[in-house]
Amino acid sequence: MNRLASWLFTPMPVARVAVLRLLVFAFVIIDVLFLHTSGWYHGQADPVWYEPLVMGEMLHLPPASVLLVEVLKWGCVIAAALALTGRAPRLLGWTVAVCWIWYQYVAFSYGKVDHDRADFVVALALLPTVGLAHLSDKRRSEAAGFALRAVQMAAIATYFLSAWAKLRFGGLEWVNSATMVRAVVRRGTPWAEWLLEIPFTLHWFQWVLMAAELTAPVIFLLSEKWRRRAVAAWFAFHAMTYAAITIAFWPHLVMMLAFLPLEEYANWLRARWGRTRIGRWWSERGLSSGAEPPGVSTPASRPGAGVG
Amino acid sequence: MNAGEGQSGVLRLSRLGRAWRAGLVVALTALFCAGSLVGNDHWWPFSPWRMFATSQAATGSVWSTGIEVRTADDPNTWVPARLTPENVGVNRAEVEGRIPQIQADPARLGTLAASHARLRPGSAAWLGLRVVRHKIIVVDREPTGEVETDVLAEWSAP
Repeated sequence: MNRLASWLFTPMPVARVAVLRLLVFAFVIIDVLFLHTSGWYHGQADPVWYEPLVMGEMLHLPPASVLLVEVLKWGCVIAAALALTGRAPRLLGWTVAVCWIWYQYVAFSYGKVDHDRADFVVALALLPTVGLAHLSDKRRSEAAGFALRAVQMAAIATYFLSAWAKLRFGGLEWVNSATMVRAVVRRGTPWAEWLLEIPFTLHWFQWVLMAAELTAPVIFLLSEKWRRRAVAAWFAFHAMTYAAITIAFWPHLVMMLAFLPLEEYANWLRARWGRTRIGRWWSERGLSSGAEPPGVSTPASRPGAGVG
Repeated sequence: MNAGEGQSGVLRLSRLGRAWRAGLVVALTALFCAGSLVGNDHWWPFSPWRMFATSQAATGSVWSTGIEVRTADDPNTWVPARLTPENVGVNRAEVEGRIPQIQADPARLGTLAASHARLRPGSAAWLGLRVVRHKIIVVDREPTGEVETDVLAEWSAP
């Protein structure tokens, strides 16, 4: 039990949470404006198509209307833009969470649920629990470790539980079915149509996918080097899926970034930026952001600030 | 709820801070597992992760549903129209999931024409709309090129 607790609360860099939050909130803006817009269009659909989910029945959520989808869409954008500043992380973070989850509910309560978007709820709900987190904070915290671990677990659960769903709904014969053929016939791109002429490729792919999904939790037992390689392999898989059938599990891809040393990448980018002419001009005028050492002047760097 | 910075420079959590987080993980794990074991799509976000989870028979037919419309520009000809949220407010899967209701009450298709008129005010009005199902024949996981098309429901503007 103690080993499980120390794994769940492994101290991790506070700055990693700061970077992941930036990516999550930037993604929310891109997502509601460009990637997942069916919720907005449901504001134009007749309420006869509305089919409340359990969440909607419990919370008495109404069918979509033009006003509701506009409020949720722009609520997401404004709250996420403010959250990008790093201020009021709990208030703004949970406002983003409520708006985004409700907007997804509007999208999914018309008869079709996109099954890849549930794990992102965990990121939106738990990343604010870390409190203030600054990009240049050098410390590690258990609260950051917990939030990152929870995001990692939700992302990996997506793979394992989707294999479980294949066994539950498709049965053992799923691996020998023509499910991937069906996907390519219905949504295949020119890049993928040749696969239909060589049917064993899609057949074998189903075996590989099932094996990869069932063994996905092994990622937590790997060394850091192999863990990053596993994440890279999953990104390659998702890139291939997008090329073949134009389906990408966008929020899930953001979640997978929780496995990576994001604060190191951010530092590297900032160093590169500082060497450019514009970057030097920027810092000479005191416009550089987040360069203060932790423990000195930023609210986030007060010992213990916002953690708990 | 923070126990503060320890001697190692690590920010520790208080017992309470750890306890509620551990409880939350247990609750979320239980909900996600229950959704995967016995839940359905209506449980979202705890619904089963069933992307491409059904088994498609290696020999049989792949179904693809679409709509065809008669427009005010050419009232006697059925032409395919895009079954997308941008065009009619709902997408293909959402219509595919309601075929029994549509067949019981084809007037429901009129709401798609009304949504189209709101979303595409510059397009010709739709005077008729029908749902068609294309069956693409597959033998041993390979499409034969043969396609059968059935009309499932039809609506005409009154």
